[in-house]
Amino acid sequence: MTTLNIKHVGQITEANLAFGDLTVLVGPQATGKSIALQLLKLMVDAGQVQAELGRYGLDWEGKLPDFLDAYLGEGMRAVWRSGESRIEWEGKTVDLPQWAAHKRKTKEESLFFIPAQRVLALRDGWPRPFTDYTPGDPFAVREYSEKLRVLVEQEFGGAGDLFPQERRLKREFRDLLQKNVFSNFHLRVDKFRSQKRLVLGPGAATENLPYMVWSAGQREFVPLLLGFYWLMPPAKISTRADIEWVVLEELEMGLHPRAISVVVLLVLELVARGYRVCLSTHSPQVLDALWALKHLRETHARPEVLLNIFEAPNTPPMQRLATSAMEKTVKVYYFNREDGATSDISELDPSAEGQAEAGWGGLSEFSGRANEAVARAVANADREAQP
Amino acid sequence: MTFKEAVADTPNLKTAWQPGLQALRAEDRPHIRAENPRQLRGSVDMDAALQQVAPQANRWDFAIGHQHTNRRGEFIYWVETHTGSDNQVKVVLKKLEWLKTWLRLEGQPLARFDRDIIWVSSGHTLFTKGSAQVKTLAQRGLIYAGAVLKIPIERPA
Repeated sequence: MTTLNIKHVGQITEANLAFGDLTVLVGPQATGKSIALQLLKLMVDAGQVQAELGRYGLDWEGKLPDFLDAYLGEGMRAVWRSGESRIEWEGKTVDLPQWAAHKRKTKEESLFFIPAQRVLALRDGWPRPFTDYTPGDPFAVREYSEKLRVLVEQEFGGAGDLFPQERRLKREFRDLLQKNVFSNFHLRVDKFRSQKRLVLGPGAATENLPYMVWSAGQREFVPLLLGFYWLMPPAKISTRADIEWVVLEELEMGLHPRAISVVVLLVLELVARGYRVCLSTHSPQVLDALWALKHLRETHARPEVLLNIFEAPNTPPMQRLATSAMEKTVKVYYFNREDGATSDISELDPSAEGQAEAGWGGLSEFSGRANEAVARAVANADREAQP
Repeated sequence: MTFKEAVADTPNLKTAWQPGLQALRAEDRPHIRAENPRQLRGSVDMDAALQQVAPQANRWDFAIGHQHTNRRGEFIYWVETHTGSDNQVKVVLKKLEWLKTWLRLEGQPLARFDRDIIWVSSGHTLFTKGSAQVKTLAQRGLIYAGAVLKIPIERPA
């Protein structure tokens, strides 16, 4: 397994991550999940990151603090503490100051990063270019925004529907998204005066809804959909050339549980296609799905049992997806605020002695406490009613 | 009144009290962990004690007496060890109904104590903390504790 060990970087005191086909990071806010994922991107794609920053005129003069401000965002130089911070990638110590000092020759990208702030990529309903951001904005956001701009301009430049599209996503996914996200609206390119923009509309162009009147969930979902489009090219190509890894931060943002369900299934599609996917999440629903996946795998359940969880149709393409997903390895890590360390909670055992695993990294703790409080109240109300 | 005295006052349990967790079957003891065993006030194997008088009933397993440091009176953990799987919910709920009825009738000396009613999983646990099954149990007054019941030194609010 590929490993990334991080010591004393930002809020992280020690994170030991071994990546599966699907890896999920959970934990409270500001515990270092996003830093860990951005460091993963840096380990995989240092040359591409440097090349992209350089292409847009960012010069860190070989200094690590300036590089971290440009890469992670303004003020993030503080996460690296000289003499204390340490990173090991694939079992080897990484000299990060040296990495920042020397530009690399390889510029290929093999990790596609979908940041949590993806909604910023579509301000005013059209993807913003890299240079539309300030130099202090995180690289991951600027880069994602630029990728969407290129995708929309090059592949969907003309007027017409972006969703649904016959050559994009399986028909089953299109149906699920129509039902659970778009309510039968179409996503299309439109022009307002001479400005292109993305709109949602039920039919005639005069009824189109511009970006600012979309629901919050639709505003969050459309940049994510475009990311899925980028990763799942049309026709018979199943993956984007050279891309091995996908990072998706907080897939649940702004979405109703039914929409989350479709997105989790889309993530399994990515995994089935051969991408190595890393997620961060605050959604217990994601862990519910992984918990079910684990037990269905162990019991050699039929693929349709997994599809039923997602209310997905039991068609041959979806069966192949489910069969493949059940064969993949899944790792889950909890980022603990108290000691800054990570725990491997991949077993997701609700009866585990450790609260981190039993409470699924805090995602089911509240529910557990609510259940206990109600049970106690009911049990003792009975008692008070007795003679 | 102490837990021990109340057991002695309860029909068919008069001689059932045992110190510590000694009333529990050996295979059930690993599922119960008192943070401070000296706070235990004894235990009763209700299933065994009531077998003769109610052989067909869905009898509850155990009662465990405990003194929390933040409470004046003693407390009873009513514990059922049972496989934690979906198809056992109805069985355990039947046992719960039996326990509630028994507490109203013969078990009145013990019904006066504050209590938790707990299902401890004796095998593979297939409930998640937020699941609908666990909520169903909670609405009936039953806490699903997973594989181990940890008895705390202080009683939660």
